[in-house]
Amino acid sequence: MKKNTFYLIVGCIALALLAIFWYSIEVHIRFLVEVAFIVAIVIIYAIRNTVTDIIEDERTAKISEQAALRTFQVFWVVFCALSIGAVMQILYIPTFPREDMPVRPHEIAGPRIMGYFQLGLLCLMIFLYVGFRIYYARKYGEWETDEE
Amino acid sequence: MPGSTENGRPMKNKIKVFRAMNDMTQEDLAQAIGVTRQTILAIEKGKYVPSLDLAFRIARKFNVTVEDVFQYENPSLTVDID
Repeated sequence: MKKNTFYLIVGCIALALLAIFWYSIEVHIRFLVEVAFIVAIVIIYAIRNTVTDIIEDERTAKISEQAALRTFQVFWVVFCALSIGAVMQILYIPTFPREDMPVRPHEIAGPRIMGYFQLGLLCLMIFLYVGFRIYYARKYGEWETDEE
Repeated sequence: MPGSTENGRPMKNKIKVFRAMNDMTQEDLAQAIGVTRQTILAIEKGKYVPSLDLAFRIARKFNVTVEDVFQYENPSLTVDID
């Protein structure tokens, strides 16, 4: 299979996934989009092996590797900082001495909100990865042009 | 910095010259050694320093040594042999 055909199929799969996503929202079946997503990824990896053109080499592997590493380095610090704060808020213990039990301060964000915030951070990680990928692709000459 | 490694050390190459001598395009060379054309272009422009494995494959494609194709120019590392 040619490289362009592969990208075309990936585009079609993405469109199908989008349609399934909205359909599953409409019929309230979460399971549908979850299964569809897994199946789509399996199909993409399967047909990727049949591509005869070279779409990945050591430079592209290095770009992915560096982007993933930097994403992880930034993400785990932010995520852990937020999680530690959330744990402290959930496990609120009055300070010593206990004679005057302090009133639990008003929560700025409850555990549920913290959970949503962590989920949001996980989603943001994708954007962080894309950003780093663009940076390293540029660094390693992805969009260089020449006279040929 | 063009023509430099990630560490800023000067690594130059003559891939373009050898390609011209062997009448090869970037696409020809890329296909012959199993990489993308963009990788050849990035190496030629000094944006990417290839691994030893890839450097050997490039050199062997031109039937020359690695040092004929790649030059590591760091004056502080030169050794005078009497």
